[in-house]
Amino acid sequence: MNGGALLQGALSGLAAGGVYAVFAVTLTLMSRLVRVVNFAQAATGMFAAFVAVWFASKLGLPVWLATIAGILVGALLSALIGWIAATWLSDADLSTRSAMTVGPFLLLMSLSYILFGNKPQPFAPIFNGPAFTISGVVVSWVTVITVTLAVIVAVAAALVLRKTTIGTKLRALSDRPTTAELIGISSKPLAIGVWAVTGAVSAITILIIAPTQSNDAVTLSMLIIPAAAAALLGGFKRLDLAVVGGLLLGLINGMVAQINELALVRNFVPLIFIVILLLWSQRKEVWDAAR
Amino acid sequence: MLLANRRLRTVLPLVIAILGIGIGWALSVGLSGYVVYLAISMVTATISLLGLGIVTGSAGIIALCQLTFSAIGAWVVTFLNKNEAPGGFIVWLVAGALVAALAGVLLGLPALRLRGVNLAVVTLGAAAAVDVLLVQTQFPGQQDGLSVERPGLFSSDREYFFFAVIVLVVCIYLVFLLQRSRVGSSWKAVAFSERGTAAVGQSVRLAKLSAFAMSAALGGVSGGLLAGQVGIPYASSFTPLMSIAFYILAVMSGTYLIDMAIFGGVLWVLVPELLKRWGVPQDWGFVIFGLLGIQAITGGSNLGEVIRGGFRKSAKKRRAAQAETASNDVGTTALDVFAVPEAAEPIPADAAPVLEVRSLGVQFGALKANDDVSLQVRPRSIMGLIGPNGAGKSTFVDAVSGFLPQHTGTVLLDGEDITRLSPVARARKGLRRTFQQDRVPPQLSVEAYVRFVARKRLDHDELADALAFLGCPPPEEQLANVDVGTRRLIEVAAAVLSGPRVLILDEPAAGLSHEEHLQFGHRLTRIPSRFDTAIVVIEHDLDLVRSVCTELTVLDFGKVLAQGPTREVLDDPAVVAAYMGDAEITQ
Repeated sequence: MNGGALLQGALSGLAAGGVYAVFAVTLTLMSRLVRVVNFAQAATGMFAAFVAVWFASKLGLPVWLATIAGILVGALLSALIGWIAATWLSDADLSTRSAMTVGPFLLLMSLSYILFGNKPQPFAPIFNGPAFTISGVVVSWVTVITVTLAVIVAVAAALVLRKTTIGTKLRALSDRPTTAELIGISSKPLAIGVWAVTGAVSAITILIIAPTQSNDAVTLSMLIIPAAAAALLGGFKRLDLAVVGGLLLGLINGMVAQINELALVRNFVPLIFIVILLLWSQRKEVWDAAR
Repeated sequence: MLLANRRLRTVLPLVIAILGIGIGWALSVGLSGYVVYLAISMVTATISLLGLGIVTGSAGIIALCQLTFSAIGAWVVTFLNKNEAPGGFIVWLVAGALVAALAGVLLGLPALRLRGVNLAVVTLGAAAAVDVLLVQTQFPGQQDGLSVERPGLFSSDREYFFFAVIVLVVCIYLVFLLQRSRVGSSWKAVAFSERGTAAVGQSVRLAKLSAFAMSAALGGVSGGLLAGQVGIPYASSFTPLMSIAFYILAVMSGTYLIDMAIFGGVLWVLVPELLKRWGVPQDWGFVIFGLLGIQAITGGSNLGEVIRGGFRKSAKKRRAAQAETASNDVGTTALDVFAVPEAAEPIPADAAPVLEVRSLGVQFGALKANDDVSLQVRPRSIMGLIGPNGAGKSTFVDAVSGFLPQHTGTVLLDGEDITRLSPVARARKGLRRTFQQDRVPPQLSVEAYVRFVARKRLDHDELADALAFLGCPPPEEQLANVDVGTRRLIEVAAAVLSGPRVLILDEPAAGLSHEEHLQFGHRLTRIPSRFDTAIVVIEHDLDLVRSVCTELTVLDFGKVLAQGPTREVLDDPAVVAAYMGDAEITQ
């Protein structure tokens, strides 16, 4: 183990970190705007990506067309879950709405076993190979693209929320749902829209990284755990901290992977991250969040 | 008759337990070998679901690693088996349960103060991490093909099934006793309202941790049994996906109900088995569970409650018919059995105040919600706390009962400084309060709730009379079937029966009609002289205030506007102006 290996590890971890960050941003957005921690987020992306692969390999669609079709499937699936939440759980609290998403999580993973088997999928890489090298350390295109994607999604979300009419309506709905509805903002289409957009983003993210890592249904769906850990850094409220949390977790994971003595600990990194953050964020909270 | 009733209540569960073991023995002899093996799986699943039911009693708490606890139980059993630890299988099983319980407490700690979603994230993270770890390291003895040694008397599959049934019955009986106890009530209460739980003197932390520990321990037992069943357990029996499916199964069937846990265990084995017979891929089982889970959570109910709801309706009809035949006239003597002897003695004229608040202040940002509020409550008096909306009445109650630790000033109960104490400690010292919002856990029966709040032994029939006197439904009624206004009355009745030194009621009669309101006030006046309790009541109905309260404190914009005997205060022009607006005076 040396410094170079650690740096290489950290940078390769950054690719995963970018993915965590994108998902953390979508999780944060949903928690803020539609009051849900969507456990099926990564599973939705996984399922959509598998459908895209199926379109390309079984139906012989060109890769770009299959990709677009996959993204649409992701948006539709997510919108469907959102429609369920908006129709039957419109007044429910965050916990109940989040509990509901455990159902689609289980359903999508099992359905993907049935439709696509439990083997890793033959993804045609969209982006591949090294982008550039810094002082002997290779940075791959996937790293560049996932990190950029995370930043773009976060910045775009922040801009949309602050500068556009839809953003204002969304914020109004999340802050004062009843007041917003009384002044004529209809919540349901907007809420389902948020679900659809995050579903599409999840599909895009999975399509980008799936070719470069173990891409079975479980591994991809379980990306929700590091993503939730990253979102926790921002308390499911702040987009910038969600991005930072994702990248940080990726870096730590990448470095730990280089140290053989810590091989068994590696899988516990997100859990430890979560536990530390929870203990820290709750050190003062006494009766605020409690009913 | 009464004695027989009480005996029945303790003996009947035991009889059912022995009957259950008998049925288990009959099945172990009668079933075919293949079905017996499946039935062992059903038993292990049931024990695990029973544990999960404890924490997921309400859908708000999401626990996604029940099979991780099972894996821990299985790991401990295989480890002790490999090292030929003394005591044999039964001791190993208990050890596995204890280690799993410890893991449950450790996982529960970070999610202790916030509800639901954080626990979901922690448990899912643990499920995934432990799963990968198990795949890498495997169970002890797995590589050498070392099979777990079953207990001597139960070595064949049939005998082992009988053993599993005995373990199941023991677990069920234990859970049954716990659920009927105050601990069990605290689990249901904390799932509904943490503030409500703390306000009755039950530690929220203890309630949650004991629930996590019990839930994980049952998971550990289930895993240990599974290790004995298969001999060599594999990580594939404890995947995160299966934990998630378990959660869904627990929520949709409502496995905090014991019969539903058994039903869930049957489903867990039956659905894949049927799919196999029909030649359908087994993964469809989880797709079905997923759909049913969504249905259950969006519907806000579960199978167990739906079935019970049907039974309760007919039981209620029967009770209503009985009530009509027996005249239901309860006098004020109903409360006398709970009266404390000291309450009969006269109060000396110079008696020290039972509750004293000195210059209490609460600030939210720039807003002074309470500013230099002082008051003294004499023993056995009823003080009215009135004031317009937003005057800071509820903030005052929150501060005095300990929910706003940042407040300034001093609170003395019986001359003792309780300013730094937690809400739980204050409640135990005899300062009780009720809430303006509904904080009565709907999953409890009226009787279980009152016992939980009162924190002392109460006789069933005397309790029924006291409830009737205070205008509450009978003890057998489920709180879920009671309207919100009546729930608030039950809250008050339960707090009264706890015999507090001071009882603060925050708009206790808000859900009642004007007549019921006055009747409630009339009954309230009977309480201090029987329980040696002083009452502070927040109330908007001035008729009630006039007839019930001996003294008044008026708050306006967080400050004390007037204080003194009721009549004087109500005639004070400043009070009239604050309450009715200035227009009233100019007229």
